[in-house]
Amino acid sequence: MDKKNITFSPSGMSIKVDCGENLLQAAMEAGIHINASCGGTGACGKCRVKIISGNVDSPLSSMLPQEDYNAGYRLACLSTVRDDVEVEIPIESQVDRSVLVKEGQKFDQPYLLSPKDIFQLVQGWDVEPTVFKKYVEMEPPSKDDNVSDLTRLINAIKKQHDIKGVSTDFKLLMKMSQLLRDANWKVTVTLVQTRRGYKLINAEQGDRTHQNYSIVVDIGTTTIFGQLLDLNQDVKAACADGSCDGSKLFALAEASDYNPQISYGEDVITRIVYSQKPGGLKKLQEVVVESINNIIDELLTSSGVDVSLVSHLVIAANTTMTQLFLGMDPKYLRLAPYVPTANLIPPMRAVHLGIKLGDHVHVYIFPCVASYVGGDIVAGVLGSGMFQRPDLTLYMDIGTNGEIVVGNKDWLASDSCSAGPAFEGAGIKFGMRATRGAIEEVSINPNTYEPMILTIGRVKPIGICGSGLIDAVAQLIQVGIIDQAGKFYRDLKTERVRKGPDGYEYVLAFQKDTRLNDDIVLTEIDIENLIRTKGSIYAGCKVLLQSVGLDFKDLDRVIIAGGFGRHLNLEKAMFIGLLPEMEMDRFTFVGNGSLLGARLLSFSKELLQEAERIALMMTNLELSNYPSYMDEFVAALFLPHTDVNAFPNVMKRLPVKR
Amino acid sequence: MAFAIPKIDYTGKIKPITLGKGPKAVNLGQEDTYPFHLFEGTMPNLPKIAIEVYDIAPDEWAEAALEPYKDVVNDPVAWAKKAINEYGADMICLQLASTDPNSQDASPAQAAETTKKVASAIDVPVIVYGSANQEKDAEVLRKVAEECEGLNLILGPVQDLNYKQIGAGAIAYQHTASANTPIDINLAKQLNILLGNLGVQDDKLIIDPTTGGLGYGIEYSYSVVERIRIAALSQGDDRLQFPMICNLAKEVWKTKEAKTGDTDLMGKSSKRGIIMEAITAMLLLLAGADVLIMRHPDAIKVVREMISDLTA
Repeated sequence: MDKKNITFSPSGMSIKVDCGENLLQAAMEAGIHINASCGGTGACGKCRVKIISGNVDSPLSSMLPQEDYNAGYRLACLSTVRDDVEVEIPIESQVDRSVLVKEGQKFDQPYLLSPKDIFQLVQGWDVEPTVFKKYVEMEPPSKDDNVSDLTRLINAIKKQHDIKGVSTDFKLLMKMSQLLRDANWKVTVTLVQTRRGYKLINAEQGDRTHQNYSIVVDIGTTTIFGQLLDLNQDVKAACADGSCDGSKLFALAEASDYNPQISYGEDVITRIVYSQKPGGLKKLQEVVVESINNIIDELLTSSGVDVSLVSHLVIAANTTMTQLFLGMDPKYLRLAPYVPTANLIPPMRAVHLGIKLGDHVHVYIFPCVASYVGGDIVAGVLGSGMFQRPDLTLYMDIGTNGEIVVGNKDWLASDSCSAGPAFEGAGIKFGMRATRGAIEEVSINPNTYEPMILTIGRVKPIGICGSGLIDAVAQLIQVGIIDQAGKFYRDLKTERVRKGPDGYEYVLAFQKDTRLNDDIVLTEIDIENLIRTKGSIYAGCKVLLQSVGLDFKDLDRVIIAGGFGRHLNLEKAMFIGLLPEMEMDRFTFVGNGSLLGARLLSFSKELLQEAERIALMMTNLELSNYPSYMDEFVAALFLPHTDVNAFPNVMKRLPVKR
Repeated sequence: MAFAIPKIDYTGKIKPITLGKGPKAVNLGQEDTYPFHLFEGTMPNLPKIAIEVYDIAPDEWAEAALEPYKDVVNDPVAWAKKAINEYGADMICLQLASTDPNSQDASPAQAAETTKKVASAIDVPVIVYGSANQEKDAEVLRKVAEECEGLNLILGPVQDLNYKQIGAGAIAYQHTASANTPIDINLAKQLNILLGNLGVQDDKLIIDPTTGGLGYGIEYSYSVVERIRIAALSQGDDRLQFPMICNLAKEVWKTKEAKTGDTDLMGKSSKRGIIMEAITAMLLLLAGADVLIMRHPDAIKVVREMISDLTA
């Protein structure tokens, strides 16, 4: 794609961007602060910049007087880069020189990780969906050839497609005789690969092989994600330019919602407790199924796919969510020695669980490892490809439960820590999922404390998602609004830091710049929650590595999964001590790792065996047996960390002593 | 080959601080070895003992603890003088019990006045401790800091929620901050970093790691004091290389064992509390304490003997 060069004065910082990039976004990526409080919608008029040379597409705006427009001023958020341009940052957005020097020492470049190219993580598999359709034609029965209808069909499959050892789903037999005759002995069969061979689960009239869809669902403790996949998509075509975006690959539609079980408990433990009440288990199962049905509905409606064409449902979930989804009593997950009912769940019919899909559709559930290391992490490891590579990889799934795996193709060890849902927007006053209207990037001016915020969809903000939170807290500490314990300095000259109903808070967006009837703020309690979440994940990684005699510096690669946003600013994640300080190029961000694995599994039956192999080879560490975890946790409850020597670059950039 | 005593390889040294002023000022810190490991390094400043003085007459004290101070409990100045002249206190720890909102809830101004009176009447360093109610202490100790400018007091307990207010007062009026955290090495280090960021200089900071009395958590205190010293001296952790203060008398003397009268099983009450205080103090010295806040003259005597025996 055509690259354009943007130079920002007076700092002289420049960045190359794609032609057509938004100017405000480009500034954020270059680490240039421009005041902007409406999320980039042109409503606040604060992001005025002067175009010195070059061209940008930028409309007139009611927030910009005509004479200023004539003088070369534009609103950065409304400007599209078309040329090499030189942009002057006006005085109100500038940061003073002493700060610029400090900014100059930052990491080579702000590093935004997006879930790109992750398709390449897993190697050496062919597109051969677990559930597939084949078209067969049969001769009608005759006096000389009077084998049964089923045998006739099985023989035809064997003869025409060389598929042997096919068993049959009983339910199909009920309608088979009439169906074969109605179809004039020309049918499309749906076969599913199981542990014991192939199973014939459906037959349709005529040739329907071109329409074969699968739905994958990640049931998180806090959030449920679903995607509709077209199993007939050709991989090579989809990846022709080598720029596969793994988060979207083959997905025709996606939908998400909060897990409605939240009303019965925020974390897995309180939900297990609730399930023990009379009718509790049934209730929890019903609400999650209802929510999945809604997601399926949304997927089908937005893609226009008929429900009868969906042949497969793949579920990745942690062990508790798996058992609650299946209606299996999770009581013993919570009682020592913490044993799940089953790690390998046999396939069953979706309809039996109350899922509104065709009655031939079977559910594949990712195998679990232990009570607190579930199928979601197995799916993540599958999707990350770490089980295939010799280099040492750390996989972190940052969810309500932080799940961490270290290892390579020869060994895998895991642990799980109760992180809290802060990165998914729960437990944060204005927290939300990474959907339209969520503040996803934040920069703060170190002199005036004015923010620069960008929202998903460039609309006025309605809340803040995980990636925005990471940015905001990193910036609050970097400009000296909060101390290293996450508490506000109370003597700053700005109206943005004030005492609110929940204690001290920072105003990210005043009410007029939002779509709410309220100011969007970040409170001291929000920051505490975030610190606890990041502390527990960092400590979980540290203890896992220590238990196998390793340290962060030994890692070749770190793969991060999590639903906190569309991308992750590594530099800022290190600044708050969520991630260890390491070379940027060792990190990969895969977005929702469980969905990635579930998607791959839908496309490849070889990976079905791999998923089981992964579950079996993973050694789980019970953190409650490691007294050092509590120590590491308390040490991590600090920004960036009590062990300042582990974060030398961050420490260099903290505000000088006041 | 002759036997060589294995020696620890130290990489750090405790920072020096000076408390109080004039000829009776107290120097702390500078040790480069574990407590009393004089075969490995030096302890240029031996541990010091501060005697408690309360700003209001104590109620519910054990008879044994009250006995030596019976004649002075209503006069903090006289109490402090007696502690120095008769019992040889290196320092005085003025406990502002009256300011506790659950007790008399005395005003910051009253507390500051008492502090000034006591501190001006004596020549040894004064440690001023509030009631450990974070909000109240913030007001009280700020006022004390202001009114007693230049007296180089030690103000405490400085805790996570009031460190900014008390720290700022300590900086502005040149006092030393006693950073108090609940028996945790990481929390101790975090508060030291925060106070440092606020502008408290390294020679104006002392660690109060919280003390449990004998039988009431002394193992935890011992372990944390010891770990802080190990991190400071053997792991070179700069943010933990500060002297430590142990506020132990309160903890020992409030226990049931210290207050119960004579029994067949536990013996004489006149000795029991004293022994408990002495043992608590000795344990903390072995773990790494630099200042002990103590109460009973007999317990103090035993501890002094121990120090001189171990450094002879």
